[in-house]
Amino acid sequence: MTVGKRDAEAGQDVLRRVGEASVLILISLADEPRHGYALIQDIKELADVELGPGTLYGALDRLERLGLIESLPAEDRRHPYRITAPGAAALRLHLDSLERVSAAGRLRLQLGGI
Amino acid sequence: MAGPRAIRLVETTLRCYPARWRRRHGDEAAELAALLINDGRPAASIAWSYLAGAAREWLTPRPGRRLSTMACALLIAACSLGVTGGLLASAAPARAATGQAHGSAHCRPGPPEPVPDVIRAIGHPQVIIREAGHGRSC
Repeated sequence: MTVGKRDAEAGQDVLRRVGEASVLILISLADEPRHGYALIQDIKELADVELGPGTLYGALDRLERLGLIESLPAEDRRHPYRITAPGAAALRLHLDSLERVSAAGRLRLQLGGI
Repeated sequence: MAGPRAIRLVETTLRCYPARWRRRHGDEAAELAALLINDGRPAASIAWSYLAGAAREWLTPRPGRRLSTMACALLIAACSLGVTGGLLASAAPARAATGQAHGSAHCRPGPPEPVPDVIRAIGHPQVIIREAGHGRSC
């Protein structure tokens, strides 16, 4: 099962179902390809989240099956991963959606005087 | 935990993954674990993460994987948990007995004595909660 570019273009937020780890991995891969260890370190820096290696490989497999990332030829024993075009489109859509929810939340807090 | 022992622990948990996964990620996962251990991450937490990942990997339906294979994996996991639970349960009285042998201040051997100040939990007559500081604390 892969997520086509059409799904993202059709406005379906496919990342809503994949979990936080997968979203963080896509964000980390958004600027350049990275392998497992680099991903864990980058996500720790980026979001202060320590991904477990089991969680990392589970999420990488899922994202690859969905066609949102692809693995590049191995360097030594490490496989770098790269975000695909549908992956970038899905990430953009998800971040837009998060921004809308975040803005609504802030507005409501303001209205509530909290 | 010593380096080689930690690596061995992680390698043992990596063997819990399906062969397909091990062919694809096995070497890289072992190397990643070694790097994380060098960074100071506890080997037990890495092993636990891989163990949970292996369970998820077995339980996630994949095209071509038969239902019976998944059922077997689930059964083995359940049995392992049962055996571990059994071992822990049987180890508890032994540990308590060891504590008594060393003259623990709170644990006294002998038949249970009636404890006057007990509270019966509402709705659960068989559950008894001892008032703090009055019951024996083992």
